[in-house]
Amino acid sequence: MNIELSLEALEYGRLAQRALEAAGGDQLVQRAERDPGRRADIMAPVFAELGAWELNPRGDADDLEAAAALCRAAGYWGLGYPVAERLARPADLAADGLVVIAAERPAAAVSGLGLRWTAVTLDGRRSMAVAGDPYGPPRTAAFTAPLDLEPLDDAGAADVALGLVLPCWTLLGMLDRAVDLARGHVLVREQFGQRLSAFQGVQFQLTDAEVERGGVEVLAKYALWSVQAGLPEALDDALALRMAALEAAEVTFRVAHQLHGAIGFCDELPLSWLSRYSQPLRRLPLGLSATRAALASGLGRRGLTGLFSA
Amino acid sequence: MGPRAAALRTELRQLVKEHVPPDFMGAFTDDPADLAIAQRFCRVLADEGLLCLAWPEEFGGRGASAWEQTVVREEMWAHHEPRGAQYMGVNWVGPTIMRHGTPRQQREHLPRIARGEVIWCQGFSEPDAGSDLASLRTAARPDGDGWRVHGQKIWTSYATMAQWCFLLARTAKGEKKQQGLTIFLVPMSAPGIEVRPIPCMMGPHHLNEVYFDGVRVTEADVLGTLDQGWQVVQEVLAFERVGIARYARCERLLLAAPAVLGDQWETLPGELRGRWARMLTHCRRARLLAYRVISMQSEGRVSPGDTAAYRIAVTRLDQESAEVLMEILGLASPSGLDRPDGRWFRLEAEDHWRYSQASTVASGSIEMQRILLARALLKAPS
Repeated sequence: MNIELSLEALEYGRLAQRALEAAGGDQLVQRAERDPGRRADIMAPVFAELGAWELNPRGDADDLEAAAALCRAAGYWGLGYPVAERLARPADLAADGLVVIAAERPAAAVSGLGLRWTAVTLDGRRSMAVAGDPYGPPRTAAFTAPLDLEPLDDAGAADVALGLVLPCWTLLGMLDRAVDLARGHVLVREQFGQRLSAFQGVQFQLTDAEVERGGVEVLAKYALWSVQAGLPEALDDALALRMAALEAAEVTFRVAHQLHGAIGFCDELPLSWLSRYSQPLRRLPLGLSATRAALASGLGRRGLTGLFSA
Repeated sequence: MGPRAAALRTELRQLVKEHVPPDFMGAFTDDPADLAIAQRFCRVLADEGLLCLAWPEEFGGRGASAWEQTVVREEMWAHHEPRGAQYMGVNWVGPTIMRHGTPRQQREHLPRIARGEVIWCQGFSEPDAGSDLASLRTAARPDGDGWRVHGQKIWTSYATMAQWCFLLARTAKGEKKQQGLTIFLVPMSAPGIEVRPIPCMMGPHHLNEVYFDGVRVTEADVLGTLDQGWQVVQEVLAFERVGIARYARCERLLLAAPAVLGDQWETLPGELRGRWARMLTHCRRARLLAYRVISMQSEGRVSPGDTAAYRIAVTRLDQESAEVLMEILGLASPSGLDRPDGRWFRLEAEDHWRYSQASTVASGSIEMQRILLARALLKAPS
């Protein structure tokens, strides 16, 4: 396993991040929130330009890495659009995307897009899914809606790992941005006659966030490799990544908000948007405690594959 | 890591199995037999050409890759460092003497380190110079054709058993406190050296005070350039940049727990098994962060921020995993812990907990790592 994405994937990620910035950057989700009915139209041109839906992450290892890089770029700008879920679409069904769902109260942030969805539970039960009415306006529901399911089969076990890993790359992009925003703020904001960045109490909070963010980065690459290699423990690796990413999100967003102070809650700053639109990724299909419980249950007594696993 | 590293791991595990008893908890106990085990194991490694694997071939090493060195670090730490204090000689005393030592110093010290015959201690920290090492006060004052050293070192591991000290002392007053420092290679048998052990929770030999009362040193004992010792210290710290592979022991102990508990494992609170799974994830996280640093270093890239982030992650892992292991131990049935594997697990987990308390303090405190990471974060272009 390489510890970093390929140079080509990294370059594609940089290209995607620039293209998304040129298409509106932080404004994209703000426009979608103002006009939820046009969410698909707002996002469509830039994804067409990037050839996003032509990527074949299930069939091509390079495309899988490019897909991860694209998810990360989308997360950086907090698009509030199911990029990872569309990239995870199943190969054998006429569906536009795949969402991993909990066994109870299936839901996903896919409302109002008019796309065909496949849903899969952690134990591999697949359904065709139709998004119902969103739980509320985008401002509070972040495009999340209950899913009406039409059961299909039990053949989705191999889909779950990819369906969990790619959204974690989106969340990683959000953590990248949250750390960048916090860092940028403390470098310019002055209190008591000096920049916030001069206070060790501020510095140490920033390092807490960065250690968490960096940890997600390496685990995300590992889990992607596990999917790529078709390892039997790919689901364990995906759940381990998700658990670490959710913990990291708690720390990183808490630090970013704290270091911004009151201005961080204001919609004139991107943090307010990023923080709100991270919610569906952090709560669905399973929140932190449920993810940890699922990981522990899946690991049983054998543990994660590592230096001393049997 | 590649096939050579994998073969090396297998070889090391076999040697540990053959030469290190399963209840070995490190060389630094009250039982002299443990030190003898470590000394014998070092000779075995030396005979196999594995003790100084990373050294250049001209000094008796194999010129091993960074990944092979990583395997050695992982396997040795996972098995309670059966090289004893030799890791210091092998990892940084020897390499520093290779770079800065005179031919006479190299002849005198390197073969003995390579054979695992000598123990070194590090005379750096002082009562008023810990993280702020350059504030040290131990001074070497001119005396005839040499110097007399006066001062006190503290927290000096292995000083009770060491034959040599890698001593940092002030020889001049510079404009900056980092100037005017010199490294001396001093035999611990020199008149005027007194070692006082400090009883501590980690066990014997870990912490000592070393007093220097007019200890005679000469130009022949100077390592590198007079008054330029700080540069050598920076190199020493760079050799230890990735540090101990703490994640390896954490993972080995965590993975041993279910077998020790047997059927009782499934009856543990779900929340505790969740924390166990979390710790295994953090073991992987720390290992991958270490590999990223090693990968960058082997490409000639230096990233102090990534290194500091790894060290913060791994030292926290050490302490948090120790808490989880102790909690598992507390719930284990006495009958399970009466079996040999149960007894060893209890000893290991308890030793790990005590030792882990120092992991965020030793070899560069977590606060220093945070300062380094913050510096890198706040200086790097956005």
